[in-house]
Amino acid sequence: MARLPRKAIALLAVSALVAAACSSAAATASPTATPTPAATPTPAATPTPATSASASAPATAFKIGVVTDVGRVDDKNFNQYSYQGAKDAADALGASVSYLVPKDATEYASDIQQFVDQKTNVIVTVGFNLGNDTIKAAKANPDIWFVAVDVAPCVDATGAPDSTFACKGDAATLLPHLIGIQFQEDQAGYLAGMVAAAVSKTGVIGQLGGINSNPAVVRYMQGYELGAKAYKSSVTVDSGFFSTGDITKAYGDPVFGKTFSQQFISQKKVDVLFQVAGATGNGALDAACAAGIYAIGVDVDQYQSYPSADKCIVTSAEKHLASAVSQTIKAINAGTAKGGISKFNAANDGIGISAFQNTSVTLPSDLQGKLDAALAAMKAGTLTTCTAQCGTWTGK
Amino acid sequence: MSGIPGALDAIPLIGLVFQLMGYLIENINPISATTVAVSVPIALAALCGVMCERSGVVNIGLEGIMLICAFVGWYASALVAGALGPEAPFPLFGATPALLIGVLAAIVAGMLVSLLHAWLSISARIDQIIGGTIINIGAAGITGYLYTLVSGQSLTGAGQFTPLGVPQEVATVPLVGWLLNAVLNQGPIGLTTIIIVIIFQIMLFRSRWGLRTRAAGEHPRAVETVGIDVIRLRYRNVVMSGALAALGGAWLSMEYGTQFQANMTNGRGFIGLAAMIVGRWSPVGAFGAALLFASATGLSLSITISPPSGDLGNVFSYIPSEFWDALPYIITIVILAGVVGRSIAPAADGQPYERESAS
Repeated sequence: MARLPRKAIALLAVSALVAAACSSAAATASPTATPTPAATPTPAATPTPATSASASAPATAFKIGVVTDVGRVDDKNFNQYSYQGAKDAADALGASVSYLVPKDATEYASDIQQFVDQKTNVIVTVGFNLGNDTIKAAKANPDIWFVAVDVAPCVDATGAPDSTFACKGDAATLLPHLIGIQFQEDQAGYLAGMVAAAVSKTGVIGQLGGINSNPAVVRYMQGYELGAKAYKSSVTVDSGFFSTGDITKAYGDPVFGKTFSQQFISQKKVDVLFQVAGATGNGALDAACAAGIYAIGVDVDQYQSYPSADKCIVTSAEKHLASAVSQTIKAINAGTAKGGISKFNAANDGIGISAFQNTSVTLPSDLQGKLDAALAAMKAGTLTTCTAQCGTWTGK
Repeated sequence: MSGIPGALDAIPLIGLVFQLMGYLIENINPISATTVAVSVPIALAALCGVMCERSGVVNIGLEGIMLICAFVGWYASALVAGALGPEAPFPLFGATPALLIGVLAAIVAGMLVSLLHAWLSISARIDQIIGGTIINIGAAGITGYLYTLVSGQSLTGAGQFTPLGVPQEVATVPLVGWLLNAVLNQGPIGLTTIIIVIIFQIMLFRSRWGLRTRAAGEHPRAVETVGIDVIRLRYRNVVMSGALAALGGAWLSMEYGTQFQANMTNGRGFIGLAAMIVGRWSPVGAFGAALLFASATGLSLSITISPPSGDLGNVFSYIPSEFWDALPYIITIVILAGVVGRSIAPAADGQPYERESAS
């Protein structure tokens, strides 16, 4: 009786460790489950099965490969819209496009390598998480164009990824075929702030960011405050951050996000809440719904990507990922693209706010006109949408 | 750093206490609401621990059990919701068949994982700390891996339970309005927790089952000599306790949140263990400790969101936010060290029981 269990326990302990390892190294568990790019039935798997031109494209044609982040390609979020942009460009250029969805972070590099092995012309990688693997691949394959969505390439003097974020090397000259797509978040935040000020009844609106040292988060928030004040100068904007250093609390803990936001709403008495905090921010949307106030989403149309908060989402401050990716690929194809950071803003249709889909929200009649005017001024470059120290939080 | 002693010297302590009381009264509503909400999963984990350890089985796998149940409950409810299509929720708590089945699935999963722990620690007699660690490590790995697989499917989820809600007249009752508001503004699992605490406390100290449980945790041989099957008693308690941790997991993914998230327990099971120790292995004590820890969270959030003015604000500005996160563990160490009222575990806690005849 006593002998048998001991072996069984050893087995259990081992299997627990294997299971733990699997969650970070799924590649070893199911190597055959990963589709090769060639085998991916592109038209059938696309979120919007509009075109099938790419499937029959000849092998010598311009080839585009997209490596998404983990999850799925039709996630109504970064993956979907980035892939959409690649597909739009492929349709316009008569190119072929396929995608790979890594099962976890350890597959980023191998999936990028698959496209390299297939002699793909442009490889698009989706999101900040793939940044370092993309830089490494760009360094190893100087002939292939890499498009890193939402990444500001940070390299050391040799062109390798710089984990210390000193960014001593000039990515544009060291890696001339790597394009990091960046967005001017403050412009999107500015438009969101105007909407928030317009739908607020009490004149007190709020915004919550992940960490105050993240420039992209801060740009959104600085724009939001300026936009709200521009719409109605008497409006009060209360700002807060989920954490000062804990990444999980700041971007990955929706339960904490809801707790923090509920307390923020009841103490600051805001009646509109803008979140810039990933999954933690989804908890902020939940809290806004629970408190019966309006919420504003971030990055993508959260009315679509986070439907459980639909009853309170007014709009979302958006990065136009599809437009940015499509424009970048077309520029590469035309030979006009340059390495380094490619900045997208109102002038090149890089940012905006989502369409108003929530019919329960009554918008002031003058809002749309003012939004259009602000957008036009941004395009003309005559509207200041960020503070002097853009990207650096100087508030309380 | 030279500012700290300077600031403290200049502040008369009495004034500071008054300022703190004023600040607490001013912000009692948001702080108490946060406190109750944060305490629910901690309390449920702690109750699970009390039930196990009172009968002599150490269970540090609470975190893992909660995580597995959060996943199983959410996934089951999402599957059922997908199969049944949209259903009109019941008028009370926004419950749907999918959500109820999800909670049931979570409870079954919690009991099964606890059964594994019971077998490991009672029958196989391995080191119970290692048994719990296996569950914790395994749970993080398995749920993380399964969630990655599942996130490839188009799951919309089954939504969540809604709070009972408090009428404005009740919430604004003088003196106790804040308390009613905090306690009643809970979903079904949150409210059940309070009922479980009361029933569990009475059962543990006033019933035959409770007497036997406590005896099995203190002196199992004596219990066996009067003809009670210690092994069976421990099995039953450990498996039952799994249902309590399961409710904590279900609360995370189906009542407070709307979906599972990898590693979403985020240490709440371990704080539950701390609450059990600080609460001296009694249900009401554990619940009180969970409330104490949660109120530290509520206060720290309040200070972050709207810092008090004056001297009190100066003092708080010197406390880093990490201190508040560490507070439950600091309190636990102080209490374990016996500085403020010693907390003593059941005598036979963690010792596998061997029958005389078997040895």
